[in-house]
Amino acid sequence: MKPFEYISTKSINEATQVLSEYKQDARVLAGGTDVLIELRRPHAKIPKAILDISYIESLNGISESDGLIILKPLSTHTQILKSDLVRKYAQLLGIAASQIGAPQIRNRGTVGGNVMNAATCADTVPPLIALDAEITLRSNGGSRTMKLVDFFIKPYKTKAESDDVLIEITFPKLPSNAQSAFIKLGRRNALSISRLSVAAILMQDKKGLISEARIVPGAALPTWMRVKEAEEMLIGEKPSLKLFTAAGQKVSEVMISYTGRRWSTEYKEPVIGVLVRRALEGCVKD
Amino acid sequence: MKKIKISTTINSKKYYLDINPNVTLLDLLRDELGLTGTKRGCEIGECGACTVLINGEAVNSCLVLAPQIDGKELLTVEGLMAEGKLHPLQQSFMDHDAVQCGFCTPGMLMSSKALLDENPNPAEEEIRTAISGNLCRCTGYVQIVEAIGKVNK
Amino acid sequence: MSTQNQHKIIGKSECRVDAWGKVTGRAKFAEDYNVGHQLWGKVLRAKHPHAKILKIDTSKAEKVAGVEAVLTAKDIPGSKVFGIVVSNQAILAEDKVRYLGDGVALIAAKTEEIADEALSLIEVEYEPLLVVTDPEEAMNPETIKIHGDDNTFVHHKVRKGDVDKGFAEANFILEKKFKTQFVEHSYIEPEAVLAEPAEQGGVRVTGSVQNLFSTRRSTAAALNLPLNKVQIIQATLGGSFGGKDEAMTSMCIRAALLCLKTCKPVKMVNTREESMLESYKRHPYTLYYKWGVKNDGTITAMEIRIIADGGAYASMSPFVTWRSVVQATGPYYCDNVKTDIYAVYTNNNYTGAMRGFGSPQVNFAIESMMDILAEKVGKDPLEIRLQNGFERGAITATGQNLEHNVSLKEVLQKATAEINFQEKWKKYRSEPNTQKKRGIGLACSYRGVSLGAEGTDAVGTIISVQTDGSVIVSSGITDMGQGAQTQMSQIAAEVLGISMDRIQFLNTNTSRVPDSGPTVASRGTIMGGSAAKKAAEIVQATLLTTASEMTGLDVQSLELKDNYLIDIESGQRLASFNELAAECFKKGRPTYGFGWHKSPKTSWDEDHGQGEAYFTWVYGANIAEVEVDTETGKVDVLNFVSCHDVGKAINRGAVLGQIYGGVAMGLGYGLLEEFEIENGIPKQLNFDEYSLPTSMDVPKIKAIVVENEDALGPFGAKSIGEPANELAAPAIINAIYNATGKRIYELPANLERVLLGHKLVRPKERGSVLKEKDIQAAMHRAVYELLPDGTFYAEIPGLQGVYANAKSLEECREQLQEVLEKEVA
Ligand SMILES: Cc1cc2nc3c(=O)[nH]c(=O)nc-3n(C[C@H](O)[C@H](O)[C@H](O)COP(=O)(O)OP(=O)(O)OC[C@H]3O[C@@H](n4cnc5c(N)ncnc54)[C@H](O)[C@@H]3O)c2cc1C
Ligand code: FES
Ligand code: FES
Repeated sequence: MKPFEYISTKSINEATQVLSEYKQDARVLAGGTDVLIELRRPHAKIPKAILDISYIESLNGISESDGLIILKPLSTHTQILKSDLVRKYAQLLGIAASQIGAPQIRNRGTVGGNVMNAATCADTVPPLIALDAEITLRSNGGSRTMKLVDFFIKPYKTKAESDDVLIEITFPKLPSNAQSAFIKLGRRNALSISRLSVAAILMQDKKGLISEARIVPGAALPTWMRVKEAEEMLIGEKPSLKLFTAAGQKVSEVMISYTGRRWSTEYKEPVIGVLVRRALEGCVKD
Repeated sequence: MKKIKISTTINSKKYYLDINPNVTLLDLLRDELGLTGTKRGCEIGECGACTVLINGEAVNSCLVLAPQIDGKELLTVEGLMAEGKLHPLQQSFMDHDAVQCGFCTPGMLMSSKALLDENPNPAEEEIRTAISGNLCRCTGYVQIVEAIGKVNK
Repeated sequence: MSTQNQHKIIGKSECRVDAWGKVTGRAKFAEDYNVGHQLWGKVLRAKHPHAKILKIDTSKAEKVAGVEAVLTAKDIPGSKVFGIVVSNQAILAEDKVRYLGDGVALIAAKTEEIADEALSLIEVEYEPLLVVTDPEEAMNPETIKIHGDDNTFVHHKVRKGDVDKGFAEANFILEKKFKTQFVEHSYIEPEAVLAEPAEQGGVRVTGSVQNLFSTRRSTAAALNLPLNKVQIIQATLGGSFGGKDEAMTSMCIRAALLCLKTCKPVKMVNTREESMLESYKRHPYTLYYKWGVKNDGTITAMEIRIIADGGAYASMSPFVTWRSVVQATGPYYCDNVKTDIYAVYTNNNYTGAMRGFGSPQVNFAIESMMDILAEKVGKDPLEIRLQNGFERGAITATGQNLEHNVSLKEVLQKATAEINFQEKWKKYRSEPNTQKKRGIGLACSYRGVSLGAEGTDAVGTIISVQTDGSVIVSSGITDMGQGAQTQMSQIAAEVLGISMDRIQFLNTNTSRVPDSGPTVASRGTIMGGSAAKKAAEIVQATLLTTASEMTGLDVQSLELKDNYLIDIESGQRLASFNELAAECFKKGRPTYGFGWHKSPKTSWDEDHGQGEAYFTWVYGANIAEVEVDTETGKVDVLNFVSCHDVGKAINRGAVLGQIYGGVAMGLGYGLLEEFEIENGIPKQLNFDEYSLPTSMDVPKIKAIVVENEDALGPFGAKSIGEPANELAAPAIINAIYNATGKRIYELPANLERVLLGHKLVRPKERGSVLKEKDIQAAMHRAVYELLPDGTFYAEIPGLQGVYANAKSLEECREQLQEVLEKEVA
C-alpha cells in the first residue's frame, strides 16, 4: 500500500471536522472489508488520509425507539444477525446479514459500509429499502435525512458528499401481521456474491388479503427500487402460487425495461421471476 | 508518513508499537513481529488463511489496517499452546487427521476457536458455517469438521 | 482377511509426522523464510498475450534508489529456456511473449515497494501478433505459429483391432462431443522462494518446490553451474496438486539469477494474482467420442479424438496426454479401438500436471458415454458397467493383460450397495418435475499407477538410526501435504519395530538425497514407500546381527517390536531399541540404510500405441447424490460415496483424507471452477472470482477403502491421491441427468449451463442490420468511469437503461455497444 496519513477519532464532530478539511482527499474507514481491498489494488487511488471511525462508540448499536429501529452504521453483520430486535421486527435483514461472505467478513463488515459502498450486490440494501429505511448523513454543515431508496444514483455512486458521515439508519418496526423474506442466489453456499437477490415483505389483513407488498430485487436493476408495478398486482388479493408467479413475471419485465436485453438476460429473466415468487411464498409461510 | 503509536495485546503479551499506518495486520504480524504462523493466501478476505482473533472474534488479518488493533486483544495460532501444552483443538486436529498441507490450519484453528468459545458443543451445520470463510484445498473439510466436533466430546 | 492384524503401525491412522509443526504455526512454509539483507525480487510480465518484443529499456528502472539489479533474457549466462520434455519455455521472454504470464524482466530491490516502482519504469516496446486462443483453430495450417512451424506438438495414438469392422458390427452408433475447462490448482499457499548465495559459489534456494530435481537441473543449466553447486531445499509445501513444478522452476531460476548477480539473498513471493496469471492449469480438452454399440449394450468399436489446449508451452502435455490416450476407453471391453490425442500450442496459460494428470477429462467423457449407452439399451448405470467392465485377465486397449486382482466390479458393487444406488436411481428418474429435484449418478475408472512407460521410475530413501535410538528419514519424494513423509515413516517404523514418535523426517534437499524423479503420478507411497522399506530392512539386518552377537541368540529367533529387541519364542524383552542402537555404534556398525527402488518394467510402442503401459492399476467408483434447483440451475451435492481399491492403506487417516479432498476438488471441477481466458486475458485472478468449494458446499462423504494387496507395492500399497480426484465430476454430471433428464456436455455445470444448457457468452458478432451511424454517434456520447472496485461503468446520458459495468474498459465499451444495439433494434 502506498503511504497515507491515518487519523482516528472517537467523536463524530471531530470526524466531520477532518472530512471538511480533507474533502475528497480523505477516506472513511469502518470495518475495512471494502476499503482495504481497494487500497491494495495496483493502481488504486490512494487518499491522503484514512479516517478511522471504528472507535466512535456512538455510531455503534441497534436499538428501538418510538416504533423505529435505530441501526447505527458501525453495527456489524454479525451484530445484526444476532440481534433480537432485528429477528423480531426485521427478519429479512437478519437473513441477509447471515448470508454475507463468511464469519470473518460478517464480524468486521458494517451495515454502514455496505450502504455507503453501494455495490450492486450489497446484500443489506434490498432489505433496508423494503423496510422503508431512512438514513442520516452528517457533515460539518449539519445533518440530512433521506429515504435510502433515494440515496443511490448508480452502482458505487450515491448522493453522499465526500465530507458526509453516515450516522444512522432507521426504519419502522414491521407490524405483527407482516412477514418478510430475503433470497440470495449465489454460485456457492458461502463466500458468494449475489448473482441475484430479492427482498420481500407482505402484510395481510384479517381476511387474509394482501394489504401491503414490497418487493426489492438486488443485483438486477441499475439501482435499487421497489417494483411498484408488481407490488400493486398483489394488493387486495389472496396469496396464491398463480399470483406470485405473475408478480415474478412482472418484476422480470420491469427489469428488462430498465436494463434492456443484454447477454446475461437469458438467465436473469426467468430466474428473477422465480426468486420473487419464492420470496413471496416465504412471506406467507407460517 | 507519520508513524502511529499503538498498544495492543497479542497472545497475552503487551506490545507498544510505533508503526506505519499503511500496512495490514497480516503484514504487521508476519513481517514486523515475526509471527509467521498466520498465513497469507489471497489478501482479499477470501481464503481465511490469515484468520486471527480480535477480542475473541475471527477476522481476516489481511483486511484489518494495523493501527486498528490499538487497544485490542489478539490471539494468533502461536498463542494457542499454553504452558507447553497443545490446546485441545490442536490436539484434536492432530488426532483426526485434519491436517494435510497445513497451510489453512492456523486459520481453521482460529475460526474454530472462536466458535467453541461461544458454543462448546456445536452441531455439524454450525461448524461448517464457522469455517466457511476458510478455504481448504486438501482435506474436503470432512476431518476438520470431525476434529472440531469432537474437541469437547 | 488381510494381514492387517500382524502390523503394528501399517494400516493405522498414525498421526502425521509433520502435524505438530502445522498446528502450532511452527511449520515453515517458503514465505516464512527470511534472512538479513534480503532483497525483493519481482517480475515484469507481458503486456500482450502474443507479441514480438522490439525493445526493452531498463535504464530508468536502474536509476531508482534501492534497485540492485535489473535483468532481462540477455543476462542469463546459460540456457535461456527450460522444459522437462520439450525445452522451449522462456525463463524470460527474449524475442516474443507467448502468453500474459510470460516474464520479461526482473528486478531486485531493497523493498517490495521499490521493486514495484522500478517495474513500472521498464519500457517494453511490443509488436502485437494475432492471438490464438482456440486449440482447434491453432491446428489449422494457416494459423500463426507460436513455436516453430507447427502448433500441434503432440500426437499420441492407440490402435487395436479394426474400428471400421467394429462399427459395421454395431446396431447403432453413439457420437458425442464433450468439453472441459481450464482449472487452477488453487494451492492455498502462493509460490515463494528464498535464494541465497552459497559459500563456495553457486546458490541455495529454499522454496515451495514440488519437483526439486528437475528444478535443480534447469536452474543449473540456466546459471551454467554443475549440479553440486545448486542446492534446492524444499520448504513445507502449502499444497501443490501438481502445480508447483514448472511454475516453481521459473521462480527458482529467476531468484537464483538475481541472487548471483547481486551476491545477496533474494526473496520472491507471488501474490495470488501473479500466481494465477502465470501458473499453468489443468488442460481443457475437447473430446469427440464415437462408439459402435450392439442392442445388448456390447461395445464393438470406439473411435476417440481429443484435442488438448497446451497453451504457450509444452510443459507436461506430452505425458499428461499420454495417460489420457492409454486410459481413454475406460475400464471397458472393446476389441476395436482407435484413439488419437493432440496437444497444441495457443496463447493461453500453458497447461501441465494437475492431480489426475489427464484422467479427469477423459473420465468425464467416458462415464457420460456409459450412461448415455445405458439409457439407449434400457439398462441402469450399474448393469451396463458390470456388463462391460474389466475383470482379471482383461486385455486393455493398449494390449496389456491385467494379471493382478482387477477389482472394478468389487468397488462398483460396494459403492452402489452403500447408498442403495439402483433403487434411488430408478425412483428419482420417474419423479415428476418439481422445483428441487434429486438425482444420483455413478462413475468408475481404472488408473495406471506411477509414471508408467512415460518415464524412468526410481526413488531413493535414507534411514539413519541415531546413537540414542531416534531416527532420521529423508527421501527424494516430497511431501506436498499428501502425507508421503508419514507413510514412509510408518513403513520404517513397522520394519524397525519402533514407535512413530522416534522418527524425524527431513524436508527434501537435492544435495542430500539422490535424484528420485518427480513426486507425481501418485507414486509417493508405492515408490517412496518401497524405497523406505528397503532402507529400513538394511538397517534392520544390521541391528539384528548386532543383537545376535549381543545375546548369543540366532538372528531368526529375534525380532524388533514395540521399541524393544524381543526373543520371539519367550516374548521376552532382551534390550531396548536405544541400547541396541548404542551397541551398533560401539561396534562401529553403520545404522544407516539407503533404499533404492526401481519400478518394474513397462513398455510402449509409440507408433501403434500398444504396450504394458503401467505395472499395476487401481480401481475406483464414486456416487453422487444431488439436488438440482430446476428453476435456477443451482446444484447441491447431498451425499457422496467414494470407493477405492488402494492395495493397502498404509495410513488409514491419510487415505481417507486423500479421498475426501479428492472428492471436494472433483466437486469444484464438476460444478464451480473455471479459469476463463478471453482473447488471451484471464478473467479470474483471485479467489473472489475463482470459486473453490467451501465447507458449506462439500457434503458428507462416505469413503470405502478396499484393500487388495498388490505384490508390487510396499505391504501391498498402491495409490490414492489422484484416483480420488478423477471421478466426482462425472458422477455429479450423471446425477444431474438422473434428476433433470438434461445432459451437461461441458464442465463445469454452473447455474447457467444447468438451467439453459449452455454458458452465457457475450456474442462476438453484432447484428449488421442496425443503424451503425446512430450507434456510433451515441457511443461517442458515452461516459466512462473507473469504479472503486476497479471495474468500469459506462452510460450514455439521456438514454435510460443504456449502461454497462465490466472489469475492463474494453469489455465495458463492448457491453455498452451491445446494449445500445439491442435498444436501437
Ligand atoms: C470476502 C468478502 C466477501 C464479501 N461478501 C459480501 C456479501 O456477500 N454481501 C455483501 O453485501 N457484501 C459483501 N462483501 C463486501 C463488504 O464486506 C460489505 O460491503 C461490508 O458491509 C462493508 O463494510 P465495512 O465496514 O467493511 O466497510 P469499509 O470498507 O470500511 O467501507 C466501505 C465504504 O463505505 C464508506 N463508509 C463506511 N462507513 C461509513 C460511514 N459511517 N459514513 C460514511 N462512509 C462510510 C467507506 O469510506 C468506504 O467507501 C464482501 C467482502 C469481502 C472481502
Ligand atoms: S490472506 Fe486474508 S483471507 Fe486470504
Ligand atoms: S490442509 Fe492444505 S489447504 Fe487445508
